[in-house]
Order: sequence, then structure tokens, then C-alpha cells
Amino acid sequence: MRKFSLLMLLSGALCLSAIAQNNIEYKEFTLDNGLHVIMHQDNTTPIITASVLYHVGSKNENPERTGFAHFFEHLLFEGSENLGRGEYMNIIQSAGGTLNAFTSNDITYYYQTLPSNQLELALYMESERMLHAKIDQVGVDTQREVVKEEKRQRYDNQPYGTILPETMSRAYSKHPYQWTPIGSLEHLNAASLDEFIEFYNDFYVPNNATLTIAGDIDYDQAEEWVKQYFSEVPQGTGEIRRPNVEEPKKTEEVRDIIYDNIQIPAVIQAYNLPKKTHEDSYAMSMLSTYLTGGKSSLMNKELVEKQQKALAVQAIPLDLEDGGIFIMYGVANMGIEASALESEIDVILRKVQEEGISDRDFQKLQNIIENRLVSKNSTMAGVAQNLAESKVFYGDTEYINQELSNYRKVKQEDIKRVANEYLTLEGRVVLHYLPKSAQPAE
Amino acid sequence: MIIDSARFQLTFEKKYKQMKNIFIYLMLSLVISQTGFAQVDRSKRPEPGPAPEIKIGDAESFTLANGLKVFVVENNKLPRVAFSLILDRDPIFEGEKAGLTDFVGQMMMAGTSSRSKDELDEEVDFLGASLNAGATSLFASSLKKNQDKIVELMADVLYNPIFPESELERLKKQAISGLASSKDNPDAISSRLTSSVVFGKEHPYGEEATEETIGNITVEDVKDYYTTYFRPNIAYMAIVGDINKGEAEKLVTQYFAEWEKGEVPSKDVAKPQAPEKNKVAMVDRSASVQSVISVTHPVKMHISDEDYLDTRVLNYVLGGGSSSRLFMNLREDKGYTYGAYSSIGSDKHIATFSAGASVRSEVTDSAVYEIIYEIRNIVENGITQEELDAAKANLSGSFGRSLESPSTIANFAINTERYDLSKDFYATYLQRLNDLTVEDINQAAKKYLKPENMYITVVGNGSVIQDGLAQFGEINQYDNMGNPARKVVMADADMTAERVLANYIDAIGGEENVSNIERAKISSTAEVQGMKLDMLSVHDEPNGMFSQKIMMMGNVASNIVIKDGKATMTGMGQSQEMTDEQFEEAKMGMYIIPETRYEEMGYTLDLDGVKDVDGQDAYKVIVTNPTGAQVTNYYSVSSGLKIKSESASSGEVVYENYKEYEGVKFPTQLTVKSPMIPMPLKSVVENVEINADLAAADFN
Repeated sequence: MRKFSLLMLLSGALCLSAIAQNNIEYKEFTLDNGLHVIMHQDNTTPIITASVLYHVGSKNENPERTGFAHFFEHLLFEGSENLGRGEYMNIIQSAGGTLNAFTSNDITYYYQTLPSNQLELALYMESERMLHAKIDQVGVDTQREVVKEEKRQRYDNQPYGTILPETMSRAYSKHPYQWTPIGSLEHLNAASLDEFIEFYNDFYVPNNATLTIAGDIDYDQAEEWVKQYFSEVPQGTGEIRRPNVEEPKKTEEVRDIIYDNIQIPAVIQAYNLPKKTHEDSYAMSMLSTYLTGGKSSLMNKELVEKQQKALAVQAIPLDLEDGGIFIMYGVANMGIEASALESEIDVILRKVQEEGISDRDFQKLQNIIENRLVSKNSTMAGVAQNLAESKVFYGDTEYINQELSNYRKVKQEDIKRVANEYLTLEGRVVLHYLPKSAQPAE
Repeated sequence: MIIDSARFQLTFEKKYKQMKNIFIYLMLSLVISQTGFAQVDRSKRPEPGPAPEIKIGDAESFTLANGLKVFVVENNKLPRVAFSLILDRDPIFEGEKAGLTDFVGQMMMAGTSSRSKDELDEEVDFLGASLNAGATSLFASSLKKNQDKIVELMADVLYNPIFPESELERLKKQAISGLASSKDNPDAISSRLTSSVVFGKEHPYGEEATEETIGNITVEDVKDYYTTYFRPNIAYMAIVGDINKGEAEKLVTQYFAEWEKGEVPSKDVAKPQAPEKNKVAMVDRSASVQSVISVTHPVKMHISDEDYLDTRVLNYVLGGGSSSRLFMNLREDKGYTYGAYSSIGSDKHIATFSAGASVRSEVTDSAVYEIIYEIRNIVENGITQEELDAAKANLSGSFGRSLESPSTIANFAINTERYDLSKDFYATYLQRLNDLTVEDINQAAKKYLKPENMYITVVGNGSVIQDGLAQFGEINQYDNMGNPARKVVMADADMTAERVLANYIDAIGGEENVSNIERAKISSTAEVQGMKLDMLSVHDEPNGMFSQKIMMMGNVASNIVIKDGKATMTGMGQSQEMTDEQFEEAKMGMYIIPETRYEEMGYTLDLDGVKDVDGQDAYKVIVTNPTGAQVTNYYSVSSGLKIKSESASSGEVVYENYKEYEGVKFPTQLTVKSPMIPMPLKSVVENVEINADLAAADFN
């Protein structure tokens, strides 16, 4: 998670009117098969980042087959009709490049950065796996083992590692956000090869993908290569499955205790958020910074430094396409009970709901947001991802240049308003993480 | 050819759209005729285009009268500026004050004559900026519009630090806790072991901070260091971002022209030799399930050396990445490890070569064998053209990517000046890399790798790995701080576990005094993260009752009670009865002097020789209860007192400062180390009441 420091003091010498965000220029087009292509030219360094965003995440999965989207993130490095097993990474690396990928509830994103004379190779590689990735039993069996180890390492064996899955499963009763991208190992074990192939044919199609190229390119040459390698990828024949589920507003608090391999209790609260594109997302992001962003933030100062009831406390707005959750997360200090920490968190939330925030604090938030956005587009890899997400999530690539002005639309009183509107104590999820040793004997 | 035809078809399609129906039939026929071979030949990977010209931007520079050299790299892509100051001094041997330089940066940030630490932190954060100090660096960055303010803060930290005593005390405490937990960390032990065997403890690169040397450090030492080394005549400043030379010069002159020069001592740094033959250095860490292996020797290599690039390529082929020989052999082929890598350092004075991996205990000797094999093999048989090409491509690629960050160009300019590199060192970097031949790399392998003169350092479970390591050279044992381990032998061959216990009872006051103790109330205190913990344990042995309460800020945080043949644990608002197994284990600690009860409880005792416990010889006695739970106690050979115990449930407890109460000696300082607590917990016994009157309330 990003960490910001926000602080008091200092006179109002800061000039807030000058908007620091620099304009990102780009060209875009769509192939006949539906592949959307965004290009950004920046010839200052002879490198390129090429990425493909597939608009498929865990929310597109069959409830009986969770974990498929993330599993594909692994499977797509297995090779293609023309790339041997395991060759993908070696080819990119020995061409002087670096690469990676990730899967969220909403998207799967693949990217590589190479010297600019290897752009054609990067496009060839991505087109290979879009056209005919190798989906066979050996690859499925190998990656199933790898994913099992990943799950153990990142969730099961990690103190507090299950917070997200446990929270999501309670925050959503209908929507597929109720499971997380890592999904279920049982589902992966039960799935047949045909089901994997079907998932590939359904979602890994050009009309569900956004190809982004950023860096030292010639627009015409890049466009020509894109057409050369991607035009022959057939358009998907079916409709792309997207959940059309309205998560009902919760009217009752969901409260549970999770016993984990931990020593120190933790409190988690989760509040449902509006859709990612809703204008209140900006105010909620600012609210989270106000509460826990930095040493002098409200909760850090009060709960960690003054009262010493918490070792750490964090507010995380997890914004998702269909409406994410705002997570409050506090780890108790030695000898402090989870309930004692929770009631202090609530006291502070109520204070913000009743009093809002001061002029100075609001100005501070704006400074922090500005700093954050300026550094967001400092690398080609960052620009590529922000362009792709602008197009896919906000429907308009130009969003990349509008984010700061969207934040600027938030008014001081909006912080108080959204605190009341979304942090509703009656409709939230509250989890207490307690040491297994505290679990009553059955 | 086929790619060409595909290009033809693409331009063709464009025209098709423009001309609409006019030539539609003609076009169609052409398209159809081409479909058979219109596609790209996907069986061939595209060749790279001509290598792009790597434009390394220029840094502008100027020097102040006080000697401060400044390099400016203007980059207007983003409206931000970074100021980075580094000091170029020789390595310092800190000796009695080892650890001093680790404190300098944080001490400088702990407040100035006009700003408290809180005020300083707040001013920086309000700008959304950052400001950090180290022993040889000072770094600040902010948005363009705040550049004057952040430089003002940077200069305040540079000129006016107040070095508060309280902050040093806090930092020392932190450092000592960190040191304690690092003694259990196999990677930290391995790093201390290798630097200690390669450089020796009397070398700036081989010495280690200890509790003692940290304790020796004073505010005066920090001030002396600051006064001696924070001088403009050994400093370089890089200014990178949305700022031109004129602006930078004005700012720097305004804030740094008054910085006073000073005489900075230079130091000689000894250059240790590689060992005459391979030697094994081992730390026996019985808890290890993995062995941390490092195969290493000193090497003279620096960026200014003519073979610098040759050794970069050599290392990439041997173990620089996930396609290199070590990785392919030890992970992909043998499955010994998650990763195996090598490195050839670069240092103005003396560097090291090392190759290593963390492997599961059982394959330790096999892994060492394979690592040595790969080193020998590359020396004897060299590399292939294909490996050379892949290494060049990878290294060129990462050079190119590094240029995306404008600070790289400033670093290039500083390195060129600082290390007296040729003016076109970076301009010709890629060309020189590209000119390297297989023969060049093979010669570098012979020159810089010494497969017969290496230290093979291993941190692992001695009883599993030691025999297998003997084949690689003479084995020397070290402790977890990298000091040669003392050889301990059991002088008294007739010693038994029972006699050790009997000696212990004698040492604490004798059978008679000990047997008079029936009840006790022991209160002690400890501090955790600045908070006081009070502990009270109450023992009533004739009635089989026991209670242990831990209190924090007046609240009971945890409570264990044994009475009526049951044990109950309360904590975090939850209460639960222990299982039989937990109860049996808890019983081992419920007695005031547990040793007096071992026999009647049916415990078995094993004497496992004499061990070195933090410098003291001690008998190791393993106590096993009927359910199989074990406690290992260590009794000092010289004093007879128990100095340490270990168990799976409570971790490690060190007993110190024995004091006499009613004729029986009790330890009054207990240090508990456990994987479940982040740092060692030191508790001090404040009161021991022997045969006190106890009430039923004591066992609630």
C-alpha cells in the first residue's frame, strides 16, 4: 500500500493553484477484431514497455471455478504453438528485457520492458499467447503446483494473510467479489482441461484486450507491427460474461472472530464503496489519507502515538469496478483487546462524521494528492498501465490527464459527507483476528 | 519474404477501405490469392532492429569555493527536483565504537537548533516531500515549486543538528534489540561469517557492532564524526529534475557556500589475500532446516579496472540471473533450492566474489559440490558464444533501462569524477561491452575466480551437514557473531545428569534450604516497546496451586492458573482450559525449583555434553516429560548454576544475576527469546517472598 505523510505546521505559503500534473499524449486505434491499441511516444530513453490488459478478473469466474483468472496469469507463461515451455521469460530476458504480470478482481495485466529495437519481439510474444497459448495437461499440472505454493506462502502461512478473503466473503452476499483472485484450490483441482481451454477462448480474445505500447517508438512502425501480429487473432465468438449483480445494501452489521497463527489481535472493519467511477471515490481516497496516511494522520497520532492502543492502523480504499470496500485495519498493542481498539476507531470515525476536517488539513490532503499524482507517470511501465486502466475502467484514455482535476472537484465538506454516507456503522463487516491460543476449547 | 508480403497486404487493406467499391473485385481477388501465405511466419521470432543509439544526457557541473562539486541534470518531464549529497571518505575501522556510523543519519534528523524532530518531520511531510540522512549522505526531494523550502530544511539539518542524548539512547536500544534478533537469523549469521573470514575482525569490512561496542557510543562520538566528515571538500551533490544550471547554482550558492571546509583524514585499507587452499567455515545452528551456503574469496575489482565489464559478463553467465548456470543447475536441474546466484563485487579498495544458495539440509554437501563444480568448469572450459550473446543483451538492456531515471546520469557524472574514469567511460560502455569476446571472458574467469582458494561458509544444522563438508577442506567452527567458536570438551568424563542437578542444588543453597521452600510469590517487571509489564507468579506447592499473571497498564493481559488438577489460560478476553498435553508441559514450570521434582514427576534426563553458552562452558541436560515434551537446561560448569533453558513452547530463557532469598539463590534477570515475540524480553525480578502467606484470591 502507498504510504503518505501528511502534516500540520507551515504557513499557507504553498501555492495550490498551479496544477502540477503533466499531460500524457497518446494515439489509439481499434483493430477489426476488436483489439484496442494505445500508443504513447516518449523518445527520451530507448526503451519500450508493451503490455496487454485482459478485461477478466476473478469477478468473471464461475462460482464453482474460482481462481481461474489468476491461474491463467501463470498459464500464459507456459508457452504457445511457437514458444517452448518456459521459454517466454528467457526470451525476454536475453533480449535485454524484464517482465511480469498480475491479476485483480477486475483485470489481468501482462507487461514487459525492453530496449526499443525489440518492440517487434515484444508484440510477437504477446500476440503468440493471445493467438494460440499452449493450454495442455502438463502446463496445467505444473502451474497448479506453483499456484498451491503461492497460496500457502502468501495467504495461509502469512500472519493476517487471510484478512482479504475473510473480509470479502462477508462484505458481499451476491456479487462475485465475495471471492478473491487466488480462489479455491479445490476448484482448480476439479477443473478439466476443456474448462481451461473454454476460459481461454471466452476471455483471452482481442475484443476483451487492450494493448498498450509506451516509450521510444515510431507511431507508424508500431501500428504496422501491431496489425501484422494481432490482425490474424480471431475475434471472440461469444459474449464476454460480465456479472450483472447488484450487491444489496447491508442493513445489519456482520461480526465475526477469526482465530489465526498470530500473537497480536487485529480489528478489521469493511464498508461497501460505490463503483470505481463514482465521483465520491476521490473523496473516499482523500478520507483514507486523512485517517491513516502518515505519521501525523488522525488515527496514527491518536491510536498509535498518544493512546498506544494500536501498533499500526491503516485505511485502505479498495476501489473496484462494481464497487469495492473501504477497509479499516488496526493491529492492537500488547495487552490491548480487540474490542478496546475497535471502540476507539469508532470514536474517531464518529468525530470525522460529526466535525468534518479543518481548512488546513484539507489543504494538506490536496498537497499530498498532487505529489502522489506527479510521480505516478514517471516510468514507461507506469504510463502504459495508467493508459490501459484509464481506457478500460473509465472508458476514456483521456482520463489519465483528468485525474488531478477530478480530485480538485472534491470540496472540503465532501469529506464529511462521504464519511457519513459510506462509513455506515450499521451495514459494515467487523472481524476480530485473535491468536489461536485464545480459541475456546471445543 | 513472408513478412514483407504481409506488410504489403496491410497497406493494401488501407487502400481497399479508401477506394471503396471502385476496385472491389480486383482487390478481392488479390486478397484471396494471398491468403495462403499472407500471415507472419510465426515459427521465427522477429529479429531486433538496429540497436538504438543510447543517448546519455550530459550533466552540467560547477564547484563552489569550499570544494563542493555539484552536478546538475535537467529533466523537465515531471515538475519535481531531487538533491542528493554524498560524502566520499575512506572506510573507517570503528573498533570499540563499532556501530557508530549506523546512528549518524538518524541523529542528524533528530532535530535542529531551530526545529524539534516533530516540527522538522511535519514540515517535510506537509510539502509531500522527503528528507533523509545517512553517515555519508543527505537526500531531499520535492515538487519543483517547493524546491527552495526543501533545500532550506536540508541545509538546516546539515548545519544545525542538535544530536539529542535521548534519541541516541532510543537508537541504541533499538540497535541492541535488532542485534539480538539477528543472532537467530541464518542469513544475518552467514553475512557476518563471510565478512569475518574474508576480511578478519580488524578490518573495516569485517568488524561487527556488538552490544558492548554499541554501549560505548556517545553523543560526543556522533558529533566528532559529523564535525570531521560532513565537509564540502569531500562532498558531491547531484541535482536532478525540473531545474536548470542557473537556478541550481543560485540555490546551492545561497545555502551551501558558507559550508566550511575541513581536514578529512584518509585511511589505508588492508587488502586480504585469498586462502592458500579451500577452507570450510561453519556455524552450527541446530534449529536450521536449510543451510545458507556462500563460496567466496576476496577479489580486487573496481569500476575503474580495465576488466570491469569482462567480470560483469562472466558473472552473468555463471550466476547473475535466472537463466545463468548456477540457477539452471541447482534449481532447474537438481531442485535443491529456490534460487542460486553469484556476484563479483566492485569496490575502490577490495571486493569479494561469492556464489551461494539456501538449500535444504540433506543436500548441503551436494550443493557445495555443484557450486564448486560450476566455478571450476567456467575457469577451465570457459563460456560459449551463445552465453556471451545472451549476457551482452541482458546487460545492455539493463543499462538502457537504468537511463529512464534521470538520477542515473547524475550518478554517471559523479562516478566519472570520483573514480577518475575516462571521460567517455559511459558513452562507450555499450560499445566496449559489445566488443568483448569469448576469449576475453575466459581470461577473466582464469584471472579473477580462484576455485582452489575459497572460503566455503555454511550456516546450518551441524549434526546433519558437518560430515559431508569435510571433503571440501579443513572445517573451522564459528559462533553466530562470526568469532571462532571455542572448542569445549567435557573434562569430567564421569559426569551424569543426576550429578549436574545435584551440583545445581548445592550451588543455589543446598538440599536443606531448598526443601524448606513450599510457597513463593515472585514479582518482576519487563518493558515492551516503551510499555511496562508487571508479572506476578505465585506458587503453593503443597496444595498444587500455581498462578502467573501478566499485567499491562493495570490490566491483566494474561493469566495462567493451575488448581484443582486443572490449568486455565485467560487472555485477550478469552478463557480456556488447557489440554492434558499442555497441562503436562505447564507443570514443568509450575514449581519454584523444578529440578527438585524431576524424579517424582517421572521425567527422563540426558546429559548431552558440555556446550559453549555465550562464552561459558555449561552442561547440557535434556529433560523429557512423559508426554514427550522437552526442556533443555544448561548448567554452568564452573558455578553449577542454571544459565539457560530452551523449550519449544517458551523459546529460550537466559538466567542471570542470582541473588539469595531465605538461603536460596534465584536468578533475578531473565531474558526470553522466542520466535513468537519480535524482540528479546528482559525481565527483572523485583521481589521474592518465600513461604509467604497466600490467599485463595491469589489463584483467581
